[in-house]
Amino acid sequence: MNVAYYSPMPPERSGIADYSALLLPALRRHLEVSVVRRGRTRPARGTDLSLYHVGNNPDAHGWIVDALRRRPGVVVLHDFVLHHLVAGLTIGRRDGHGYLDAMEREGGVVARLLAHGVLDKRIPPLWESRPQEFHLAGEVLGLATGLIVHSHHVEERARAAGFEGPIWRVPHPAWPVPAFAPEPVDGDPLIGSFGNLNSSKRIPQLLEAFARLRRDRPGARLLLVGATSPGFDLDRRLQRLGLPSDGIVREDYVDERRLWALMAACDVCVNLRAPTMGETSGSVVRQLSLGKPVIVSDLGWFSELPAAAALKIPVGEGEVDALHAALELIARDGGVREAMSLAALELARREHDLDHVAELYASALEQAAGGEAVLGSVLGDVTTAAAEVGIPAGSPEASELARRLHEIELGR
Amino acid sequence: MRIAVCAPQVPFVHGGAEIFTDKLVDELRARGHETELVTIPFKWYPGTKVLSQAFLWRLADLEESNGTPIDMVIATKFPSYCVRHPNKRVWVLHQFRQAYELDRTDLGQFSEEPADRALRRSVQRLDRVALGEAKRLFATSQNVAGRIERSTGLRPEVMPHPPQELPYRCEEYGDFVLSVNRLDRAKRIDLLIEAAALDPGLRVVISGEGPDRERLEGIARERGLNGRVEFAGRTGEEELASLYARCLAVYYAPVDEDFGMVPFEAFLSHKPVLTTHDAGGPLEIVSDRETGLVTAPEAPALAEAAGWLREHRAEAEAFGTAGHEVAARVTWDSCIERLLA
Repeated sequence: MNVAYYSPMPPERSGIADYSALLLPALRRHLEVSVVRRGRTRPARGTDLSLYHVGNNPDAHGWIVDALRRRPGVVVLHDFVLHHLVAGLTIGRRDGHGYLDAMEREGGVVARLLAHGVLDKRIPPLWESRPQEFHLAGEVLGLATGLIVHSHHVEERARAAGFEGPIWRVPHPAWPVPAFAPEPVDGDPLIGSFGNLNSSKRIPQLLEAFARLRRDRPGARLLLVGATSPGFDLDRRLQRLGLPSDGIVREDYVDERRLWALMAACDVCVNLRAPTMGETSGSVVRQLSLGKPVIVSDLGWFSELPAAAALKIPVGEGEVDALHAALELIARDGGVREAMSLAALELARREHDLDHVAELYASALEQAAGGEAVLGSVLGDVTTAAAEVGIPAGSPEASELARRLHEIELGR
Repeated sequence: MRIAVCAPQVPFVHGGAEIFTDKLVDELRARGHETELVTIPFKWYPGTKVLSQAFLWRLADLEESNGTPIDMVIATKFPSYCVRHPNKRVWVLHQFRQAYELDRTDLGQFSEEPADRALRRSVQRLDRVALGEAKRLFATSQNVAGRIERSTGLRPEVMPHPPQELPYRCEEYGDFVLSVNRLDRAKRIDLLIEAAALDPGLRVVISGEGPDRERLEGIARERGLNGRVEFAGRTGEEELASLYARCLAVYYAPVDEDFGMVPFEAFLSHKPVLTTHDAGGPLEIVSDRETGLVTAPEAPALAEAAGWLREHRAEAEAFGTAGHEVAARVTWDSCIERLLA
């Protein structure tokens, strides 16, 4: 079986490009895979099925949605909220009406009026200010013949949005842990945060909780790795909280090797986020593979991490208190750190193992390509046999047969 | 307790699985349980027959019989565990192996066509649902349990079952290697015949019948083995026990076998087992130079191992005796206690 594979690929700098680079060799052990050249939207010849990786970035995924429009197929939904993508596909291509229509399709006249406000520059872009209120995934869901998702959260949201096709939940694959020495960064404890510095990563809350922790634990240090988002004034915040410069270790963008080495140096990694667009976090998966205790926001995919491996922080009221308590627990209790570390390693091995993920992908794609023929054949057999013994369609006995078929996932 | 033991029936085929289910019924009855063996014919080809035939089990109503409740069902082999029952126990002898480790091998069933690939996945999904319904789930070996865990995420308890009852004994460490198995390609009896062709001192007795017999006899003929390979056909209980009692060692090396009772039977006769690195389940009890010899799945390696045993009969006896201790620990009392708990 040959699958046409649409995804950003390295050297493009995108988490999904890295994801595909990791997954493809393992997937090719199960299936023939033809990676479609970037920008090519014509259906690939000689393939049985198309697989489209869709995320929220219009530069990386716009052409993939164009290809999906020409040949429906299985969509890997990396983010559920696709507002930014749709804005790029419409407004970004001077198609304001397309944006109005997308908003109206999802939110009715009120949403259309809001969209007008965006086009007229009367209100800030909704994909920046309130993307979670209008996911705009409708068109992609309508074109998908099946979905691959990474979380129950996205599965439930897709169902709530009316998607009726098959959904396969496949965990995010884990990278093999490279051989290296941890970076020599001091801290007792050393707390790591990896990713862009902005409000949606809850950096203000993290800084506040860390400042409290440092009052009792002057040896604690916070490692912040990632670019500072425009408009996020880190220095001013540090100053206001009275955090001395020796408490913070700052790194901008780092390459993959240094990223691993810095993560390995940490005692705990903090990965907060709100709102969520339905995404998973490659950083968290890397940290689990390293056996690091993680602290996450209690929402979306992050909520689904087992409590043994992740401390979960409610978003909003009490967030800083809960985060401070979690950091204090990790700092104080070596037993907790060790138990969480073991649970993280076990989770990475059990759920995120690359071969396991590739097997689940292959299973989903094989079912997507041939499942309908299988169901048709089985139902044909059963219907014929039923008719031969006088069980007509629509009878209670036929309903019983249908129920039993559904129980073992052989029904339509 | 009223118990229905469920097993598929392949008409005109009788092998280890059938011996096992018959014995399970007997042992449950011997402990005072009203027990019945329930079977449905199973044909797994062509095309989607494997699913529509499995579906027959789903339609069977075993919650009661003739107005009297059935307290428990114990299902064994695919697809009998598709049966519905509020107190379903499954003791897995085999999944449908063509959908798992035999896929894309000479013994596989599913082609590369999308419909065939999807059919294989449907079998796996069926397993996930049907085994997931079990109140308790057992596997006859770590090999089977591992496969179930990898394919369904379920974690069966490992519970080997005792072999058939025979008048096991040891009379000598004689001059032949015994193969006890159904004659089909997956059992790789041809490897033993090729080993005999390489070692003029190796005599082989092959017990069992099956569709591969003609091919195997052809190999023996072509290699001019002059009676050193004897096809004994299906042997009765006494005759089989006598072969076990007199052989030097027992050969058992199917491809990634789920479990296999033969090593246990060999051990109960104090005989070492000759097997291969890729034999699967048997490796859980056959340890190299402890309870037998484990070689590469190649005729020269097997010939060398058989020759070594011939030259080292004291070691052969020691391996067989160590094996006996392993086999003696597996009893019906302990199995049934766990099964019904």
